[in-house]
Amino acid sequence: MSTYYASLLAESGILLLGALSVYIILATGQLSLGNGAFMGIGAYLSSYLTVALNVPLTLALVISAIAAGIIGAIVAFPALRLKGIYLAMATVGFGEMVRSFFLNFDAMGGSGGYRGMQHISVGYVWLWAGGILIAVMLLERSRVWLEMQAVHDDETAAGLIGLNTTVTKIGAFGVGAAVAAISGGLFAHHNVYIEPANFGFDRSIEFVLAVILGGSTVGPGSLVGSLLLVFLPEFLRPIADWRLAAFGTLLIVVLLVRRQGILDRSLIRTLTFRRAAA
Amino acid sequence: MSRIKSNLPRVLGTVAAVTLSAMVGGQAWAQEIAIGAVVPSSGPFAEWGRSNTVTLKMLEQQTNDAGGINGAKLKITILDDAAKPAQAASSLRKLAGDEKVLAVAGPLTSSAAEVTFPVANEMKVVSTSQASSKPGVAKLNRPWAFRNTIDEGVLAKTTVPFYKKAFNIKTVAVIFDAKDATASTVGKVIMPAVLKANDITVANENDLLSFNTGDLDVSAQVTKLKALNPDGVVVSADYSQAITVLREMKRQGLIKPVVGATQLISSAILKAAPEIPVIAPATFYATMTGPAPEKFTATLTPLLRKESGLPKDIEPSMYDANIYEIVSMYIDAIKKTGVTGKPADLEADRTKIRDHLAKLEGFAGLGGPIGFNDDGDAIKAFYVLQGQNGAWDTKVKGCSSAPGHPAC
Repeated sequence: MSTYYASLLAESGILLLGALSVYIILATGQLSLGNGAFMGIGAYLSSYLTVALNVPLTLALVISAIAAGIIGAIVAFPALRLKGIYLAMATVGFGEMVRSFFLNFDAMGGSGGYRGMQHISVGYVWLWAGGILIAVMLLERSRVWLEMQAVHDDETAAGLIGLNTTVTKIGAFGVGAAVAAISGGLFAHHNVYIEPANFGFDRSIEFVLAVILGGSTVGPGSLVGSLLLVFLPEFLRPIADWRLAAFGTLLIVVLLVRRQGILDRSLIRTLTFRRAAA
Repeated sequence: MSRIKSNLPRVLGTVAAVTLSAMVGGQAWAQEIAIGAVVPSSGPFAEWGRSNTVTLKMLEQQTNDAGGINGAKLKITILDDAAKPAQAASSLRKLAGDEKVLAVAGPLTSSAAEVTFPVANEMKVVSTSQASSKPGVAKLNRPWAFRNTIDEGVLAKTTVPFYKKAFNIKTVAVIFDAKDATASTVGKVIMPAVLKANDITVANENDLLSFNTGDLDVSAQVTKLKALNPDGVVVSADYSQAITVLREMKRQGLIKPVVGATQLISSAILKAAPEIPVIAPATFYATMTGPAPEKFTATLTPLLRKESGLPKDIEPSMYDANIYEIVSMYIDAIKKTGVTGKPADLEADRTKIRDHLAKLEGFAGLGGPIGFNDDGDAIKAFYVLQGQNGAWDTKVKGCSSAPGHPAC
């Protein structure tokens, strides 16, 4: 595999984790447009740990994930009072707050950025991305996921049957934030340079887009969305200036044809059946 | 028959020798010399990327019309990075790894250079930025990273004394784009230090004003600037963002001389508030005089207006001149160092180009001779310009190295 495709695959893996971070939160019916901020927290914290304190990368990623998870849970508390578009706007505000913090945080370079990280291979990125995707797919088969789905479908009814909806929603936010932080740590060590602009609103939207495009009802949908978002603009390079317009058009067409995203349970069943029949 | 038989070994030997020499002679150089470029044809700096693209196509055409490089055709593969660092790095990987180019011109921004230059080192291919001027970016990524630009810190040391003298400046107020890495470094670090060294008081030293790329309303910041009543204003931002500040200054009646970095140089900024004097350094500007820059501008301007899809009054920018010089330097290196362009020689060819650039002195650039210092930054002449009433005027000529260097 050429180093170019390896680089694109690494980008896909990093985006997959960001998309999964949104997917986990979305599974409880909450839309976060601020996961770029959790990614930034993971990127900066893991970079500081590896560069300044010489902490091994894997340990640094775990520490960053835990820290971001705690912050995510704290952010979720006030967010419990908000729903729908209001919650989404609150997470946008949180994202801008974090980006502005790093912009003025001169100890880690401020707007000048932070560097010194060791480059990581595409294999290492996918070890994390694949591992977390499998963990999410296993989670989808668990009782916890059913509870999350219950909260997603009807929070009041879920509460009435005895489910602790507060814990479910805060837990989803915390886990989503932790996954986004790992995405950030891998991004920082793959690109060996980070700056606040890397973790703005655009990044959060990219995560949501990967989920919506790939499929928002199944974990592997994020994989499909991430691969498409990274590889499609590259494959459209031959049409030069029109590639982004063509990419946008394709996105609209896909969403018109399949509102639930490309991959859903029905398609997975169909594909599985075809393979079984063969 | 026996005569033929007796001569057969000689005939076969001659045929073999002729064939071999034809093969060797025919393959002394590849039929095509591949150079790559990474420019932002989409995204926030699309204007510069699109004009860079037209510039490179013009250079490719000029080179091939003149017989190519050692008889081989020049092919410049241009990739769009949308000013996204990760895309810039991927583009360089594609150019160096898949397209097997000999060297790469770009990327444009310092943020992209920060991510791309380490990749250039990893892949052992020269990458030269046409616009990055954030201090130290190439220095951290030696030996394959170069910049055909001058560190903003060096430029400010000549720009500020002229500004002080020309407008009798004793106090200034600073406003900068906090989202732009170069603008932020210039506004927060470089300018305050240089102003202090020139005994100019920064009225808002402990409360530097900022805005973010894309902000359309800076009225609150400009109101604060006006309240400080400074003799002049430091605007550290890309020209498209600085225009927003200048328009607001004009609207509020704050007609004070403005000083900034190379990012301010453009024809558009002069139209935003013609009555406000703007002082900034540049290594090239469209109204520059002299045979080389005048020919460059005269040839490129109609092409830009026809092919770039940009406003009809577009003129060549400093970054067009820089990328033109970068590829011209690569061509110079290929011609002078025996680069073959053959796949088998790729690694050696790339090293030859790198070594040629590292030792380069006195290359005939558009604004004067060019060389590179040990940090990989260009040693070249620069000009402190004053923009007012729609035109840039040269006020001071400087050089990014000590006097006596061939490039000065």
